[in-house]
Amino acid sequence: MIELSKIKKIYQTGSQSLEALGGIKLKIKKGEFVSIMGPSGSGKSTLMNIVGCLDTPSEGDYLLDQEEVGGLTFDQLAAIRNRKIGFVFQNFNLLPYATAWENIELPMLYNGKNTRKRKERLVELFNAIGLYDWRDHKPSELSGGQQQRVALARALANDPPIILADEPTGNLDSQSGIEIMELLSRLWKEGRTIVMVTHDTRIAEYSERSIHLFDGKISDK
Amino acid sequence: MNLTLTRFFLSEFRKRRKKAALITFALFWGTMSILLLLSFGQGMTTQFQVSFSGLGQNLIMISGGQTSKTHQGLPKGRRIRMYPTDISYLRERIPEIKTIAPESWNNRQVSANGKEINRVVHGTTADFAKMRSQIPQLGGRFINPDDVKYGRKVAFIGWNVAKDLFGNTNPLGNTIIIQRVPFTVIGVLKKKLQDSMYNGPDAEQIYLPFSAFSQIDSQYHIDRIHIQPYTIEQSPLIEERVRTLLGRKYRFNKNDRYAIYIWNTIENSKDAVAIFKGIEIFLGIIGALTLLIGAVGVTNLMYAIVKERTQEVGIKMALGARRRNIVMQFFLETLFIFTKGTFWGFVSAFNLVNLIRLIPISYENFGIESYLLRPVFSLQIFFVYLIIVGSLVFLSGIFPALRASKMNPIASLRYE
Repeated sequence: MIELSKIKKIYQTGSQSLEALGGIKLKIKKGEFVSIMGPSGSGKSTLMNIVGCLDTPSEGDYLLDQEEVGGLTFDQLAAIRNRKIGFVFQNFNLLPYATAWENIELPMLYNGKNTRKRKERLVELFNAIGLYDWRDHKPSELSGGQQQRVALARALANDPPIILADEPTGNLDSQSGIEIMELLSRLWKEGRTIVMVTHDTRIAEYSERSIHLFDGKISDK
Repeated sequence: MNLTLTRFFLSEFRKRRKKAALITFALFWGTMSILLLLSFGQGMTTQFQVSFSGLGQNLIMISGGQTSKTHQGLPKGRRIRMYPTDISYLRERIPEIKTIAPESWNNRQVSANGKEINRVVHGTTADFAKMRSQIPQLGGRFINPDDVKYGRKVAFIGWNVAKDLFGNTNPLGNTIIIQRVPFTVIGVLKKKLQDSMYNGPDAEQIYLPFSAFSQIDSQYHIDRIHIQPYTIEQSPLIEERVRTLLGRKYRFNKNDRYAIYIWNTIENSKDAVAIFKGIEIFLGIIGALTLLIGAVGVTNLMYAIVKERTQEVGIKMALGARRRNIVMQFFLETLFIFTKGTFWGFVSAFNLVNLIRLIPISYENFGIESYLLRPVFSLQIFFVYLIIVGSLVFLSGIFPALRASKMNPIASLRYE
């Protein structure tokens, strides 16, 4: 499903160059639940962004579903992000002016789904996260846990095979964190590939396999 | 562009519109200014044309003068006068003449209804009416060819003459006495704007059939010949022919500008219309610049909005927004701000123009108010306005929108 080989990411700041990723080789099979761990500055987020097609590597190849991502245009990458990948962020990243309903609807609008299908899917998702009664509320009117559940539903809007979660419990109390992790586990059991960045070992225990990053390289711990 | 996506942006925009209030006001003000300025400019041109045609339309007027050059052994300073025979003489020799009419006048005591006034009394023919904008009020008529043919004792009078002699009663069918000869009033001049004249405004004049005038007047010459060409392009040619023909008949040099005077309203109105058009364009530019200030405000606001919403753009990119989705979103927002601001400006200007037009203006003297109080809101102005607003929307919308679409998704997501 996800195949990275010799991935390097170099940031150029003036005359200095900083190697954020130094030749990553990583294979994630379909249906795996992988957590990426490591101290801050180790390159976790950079790796996550490359996997999520938000960023392009300076060197190396990235095959997503046997397709080389390197040479794609912005709009082609946008289509991949829209259909194949669902993002869950630490700070939820919901659109503040839109209601929960609109937030979850937006990826489907970019996908061009018709009104009836969108509505069906929205009702389904709201029932899954148990927030149907909150559908017309704005993010500021929801608790952190509720916001993250909305964000998770949004990630699932176009039924993507891959979920990328960047510290999904980082801003939540432990109870809400557990709820989110249980939702993620359920998605994994339904057959989705899940890649999660975390520095919390208890959270990482939900995954099948942990990858440790240190100074931009995978360390075999 | 997906319609639902547009609706989504619209609902997003509605929740934020308060921020754009001041800019909306600037656009409202700019639109109103440009439309009012254009309307007043056009109104001035129109009013000028209306009042100029109060004297007559496409008129060439010829009156006698004094020679200033020696010609064929004759001295300068000779008086040149025209006679009734000149009418057929010119008509037969200049095929470009559409209508031609003589005019003679004298100051006379006029009495009726026990009142006596002193007015200029004219003699002319039926064609004079069309050329000199002599339109009768309801129920009356101007002198007709039969009146001239049979020398009928009838009179067409200006509205001030009617008021002075008959007050508020209807003068039609009543008798006025000129030189002890009774004339029946057959028509009263309809009120009109007139900014150029000889012998005073037409409101003060009395017109008789040329034949009847000759019977009560001892003068043999005619004071003025009025000519209207078929097309305005023919006017210089007619002028030239008149000088040549009359010069041959009365023996003066055709290049002698003082032997006869020719007042060509076509040439006069051309210049004046050009001046008014110039003013109109000038006012339009001022208006457009005012609106431009509003547009700069919108551009500025949109840049600020784009920056403020960097993170939102990042989120949308992560969710799969294409560049055009982002461009359209911000561009539509610019369009909405513009539509809202300019719509009310448009409505206000339109209503103001129509309100101002309701103010009555006097026909008696041709003051500044008759130029200023009749603005015109034409379709032409509307199109000029659409073009200006359209290009301003495009200019102030496209650059901020493009900037938003070119943002880096990761950097945008991290932006706080």
